[in-house]
Amino acid sequence: MHISDGVMPTSLAIGSGVVSLALTAWSAHRTRNRDLPKVAVVAAAFFVAALIHVPLGPTSVHLVLPGVVGALLGPSAFIAIAIGLVLQSLLFQFGGLTALGGNALLMGLPALGCGLLFQLLKGTTIRRQMLVGGLSGGLGIIGSALLLALLLAASGEDFLVVAKFALAAHLPVAIIETLVAAFIVRFLARVKPEMLTAPFTLKD
Amino acid sequence: MPEVINPTIELPLYILLVLLCLLAGCFVLAMKAVKNMAAALQEQPDAMLPLVDATKPGTTPLHRWDARFKIAAIIGFAFLTVSLHRSLYIGAALLVAAGLVSLARLSWSRSLRRIMAMNGFLAMFLVVMPFTAIIHPDDTLIQFGALSSWPLNLRGLELAVQIVGKAWTVALLMEPLLATAPLGSTLAGLTRLGVPDKVAELLLIAHRYIHVFFGELQRMRCGMEARAFRSGFRLGALRDYGNFVGMLLVRSFERTHRVYDAMQARGYAGLMPQQEVGKAKAADWLKMILLVVVGLILLIGDRLAGGAA
Repeated sequence: MHISDGVMPTSLAIGSGVVSLALTAWSAHRTRNRDLPKVAVVAAAFFVAALIHVPLGPTSVHLVLPGVVGALLGPSAFIAIAIGLVLQSLLFQFGGLTALGGNALLMGLPALGCGLLFQLLKGTTIRRQMLVGGLSGGLGIIGSALLLALLLAASGEDFLVVAKFALAAHLPVAIIETLVAAFIVRFLARVKPEMLTAPFTLKD
Repeated sequence: MPEVINPTIELPLYILLVLLCLLAGCFVLAMKAVKNMAAALQEQPDAMLPLVDATKPGTTPLHRWDARFKIAAIIGFAFLTVSLHRSLYIGAALLVAAGLVSLARLSWSRSLRRIMAMNGFLAMFLVVMPFTAIIHPDDTLIQFGALSSWPLNLRGLELAVQIVGKAWTVALLMEPLLATAPLGSTLAGLTRLGVPDKVAELLLIAHRYIHVFFGELQRMRCGMEARAFRSGFRLGALRDYGNFVGMLLVRSFERTHRVYDAMQARGYAGLMPQQEVGKAKAADWLKMILLVVVGLILLIGDRLAGGAA
């Protein structure tokens, strides 16, 4: 899911970094001060979720959950993902330093899209929220994988096959994330439904 | 389109098999290391996340460097490094980064841990790139016996090696950047460089919470395992993972709100009290200029060097 340092040409690394910074600034602007703890919680949970490994055949995949972050935070999702990624890079070196902008884009943009999708379609029943939650969970991964493939392909013609490999490798992850996201949303809808209301329109 | 003949080295097929076995062996070892690391993190009751900032104060030039200049210089050097195209110059950048680690008298184990964490991912590039890079007219190919439709492209291999070199260089730069000051000072340096207060504050709060949540994660995992949870790719296990993450969110959310209310009751108004920050000295500027100039010399040498890229 991550692009490492040294893959993207410098122009692409700087370009994606600038776009990410602009989106982070927008996201921070849309985050009210009293919501900061919530954003920090979700950023830290996004970080910790990546430490949960689901065994899959001979290997294992870890949870990524961009769709759930979007559903929980709405417009603030981008800043939460950026913070989570910076922390992953600071602690584990995943995502590198020069590639941080690209990595924030490829997980943050699907999170924003899935957040909007979830708020538009979520309805009122738990069953429907669970379905839409699962849908945003799966679409979050597919969107991230597509952006990853796009960034790899834009890094040079030599990376085209790697981009296809990356895309194919994310299909099982998308299935796992769809189911896990659906169960997370069902749990939250039953236990603490107010966590699932992240307005895109409201601003004060 | 005229047929282009690439310079080709022919080798018997078994050499390819031996090479692939070697690489596969390295890959399995790297994956095992990562898996063990993750398992160790999850299973030890007292496991801890790796620390980010300085464990002890130091007096090296890197410890005494003003955080703003250190951040700007090291990030600048990282970007100059990833712009390099020639293996020789990437090797030189790697040496400079290693020099910074030893100059700061940092323990190599933390730097090596960063490098090990990436190696599984980088090994994939080493295996895939030589066979999938687009073949240019003057690329040297290696053909293995009868596999003429699947040649190994030396340029692809060099590209993969360069990616590994760049990623290792940046990984080595991280410890001199982070482990030579408390995290608070580094973040204060970030805000003084123009990063919004909210972002720095979120980083500081989230960094505290990941350690708290990690403890929570282990307690909950322990409870689940005591109740006969088995992980795997089954619907039941995935449902348990969902409830697990949901519970983690609800608990952390409520805990955070209690803490936040308590902080507000004690006069917290959205910003942590700032530490005293000193004025920039000439030495801070000098060190920054030195590192950036070294990076620029590498980049200029890289671009001016003759011959094929």
